[in-house]
Amino acid sequence: MQEGNPQFTEIIAAAGPSIGELYARCKENAPNFSCGEEQFRLSIERSLLKFCRAADTPPTAEEVSTFIGQLQADDLLMAIACSNGCERAWWEFDQQHRPYLERVARHLAKTEIDAQDVIDTVYVELYGTRVVDGERISKFATYSGRGSIRGWLRTVVWHSLVDLHRASPDEVSLDEMTENFGEGAAQSTFLVSVEDGEKEAVDQLAEQRYRKATIESLSAAFASLEPHERLLLLYYHKENLKLREIARLLENADSPLRGWFQRRSQTRDSGGRTHESTVMRWLEKCYASVLENFLNELTTTQGLSREESAICMELATRDLGSGDLFAKLSAT
Amino acid sequence: MANQERIDPQYETIKALLGGFLAARREANPAAGHIEQDTIAAFVEGNLSEREAAPVISHMADCGFCLHVSAELIRLDTAFAETPATVTETASEPGKISEVLSGLFAKIFGTSDGAVFAHHEEEKKEEQEDSDEEKK
Repeated sequence: MQEGNPQFTEIIAAAGPSIGELYARCKENAPNFSCGEEQFRLSIERSLLKFCRAADTPPTAEEVSTFIGQLQADDLLMAIACSNGCERAWWEFDQQHRPYLERVARHLAKTEIDAQDVIDTVYVELYGTRVVDGERISKFATYSGRGSIRGWLRTVVWHSLVDLHRASPDEVSLDEMTENFGEGAAQSTFLVSVEDGEKEAVDQLAEQRYRKATIESLSAAFASLEPHERLLLLYYHKENLKLREIARLLENADSPLRGWFQRRSQTRDSGGRTHESTVMRWLEKCYASVLENFLNELTTTQGLSREESAICMELATRDLGSGDLFAKLSAT
Repeated sequence: MANQERIDPQYETIKALLGGFLAARREANPAAGHIEQDTIAAFVEGNLSEREAAPVISHMADCGFCLHVSAELIRLDTAFAETPATVTETASEPGKISEVLSGLFAKIFGTSDGAVFAHHEEEKKEEQEDSDEEKK
């Protein structure tokens, strides 16, 4: 594989023997799959190159070794063989994964017809109907073995369902589509229409100023969090994931998300299950950071006094109670 | 839980405020495009290393679409983990790729695709060879 960065070229070359061993092992498990070593090697080298480019510094030999060791190599061999049109590999794939694929489609689709449409479309996509330079482009070629083939299939089915809905006569925007699709439907909350108030002009102006300061400070406080903290809050509040669902995401002992939160809270668990209470604790830490940054923003960036900051909090509490906080905020 | 004992009203307000703010917030869809399906699947499974996960997490914190896709996949993963699949019977003989696909192509495009016919041709050729060998 040609790579401009000589360091990466070296890393990829050094991984050659490990890739060869991996291929031999996979081939032993599935001798009938049509996939040559060169094709297998090229696929892993492509992923390895991406891995090298993912950060500013090149990966260490240990990181590369872990990366190769974590690849779902048997699944990758099957995927490459399927993309080559190997009958035996397709049969294996069909036997092992079709029931799962169907289950995912039925779980996500609203109707049996949609589910069936998606199953059919995914199969056609997996085989590939597009021909580029005389070669059929199979969806299988996009599988890298970084995750399980089932995890990848779930994603393919999900996207296929989105495409199916976008292609329907009543075309909707992607945003609208994703917000109203799957289990996330009806969970998205958006700004409600603005109420026309008849308040005194002066009071209204002052309140508007405080509300504007509140929303700007809140936005800045949220933006100042680390990306993994923002993601956690978004999963919980915007996507309405339950604590146990977030905990499941963090179950893998090697999960970097889990590592970041543990480092931040300066605790290490035994490497076992992440409990819902642990996720709650991490959320609480995020709230504490947001509060601190929020109050700081009100006084420094917005130039409000402590008394005015207190008014902002009072207004927010009152607006929250009346349930129209964000309608009022949207008017600012 | 220690945090439940916290009675700071400001703290409770900020929690509610942040919840409402995030629920009402619309993330932009970055011009740089979305995370590859393969990568997002590996992320949800917790298979990405720190160097790979860092740009993915940064992207998802700003991209409503990828955030939503990943959340849907997490939800699905949990639902499937909690509800074991029913065992389905499998065919004892290998199904042919062409058999599966020719039906699908016919259904989707109204006719079978050329590539599938090519498979039929190969099969016929193989069958011919098999019968020739048997004759020998």
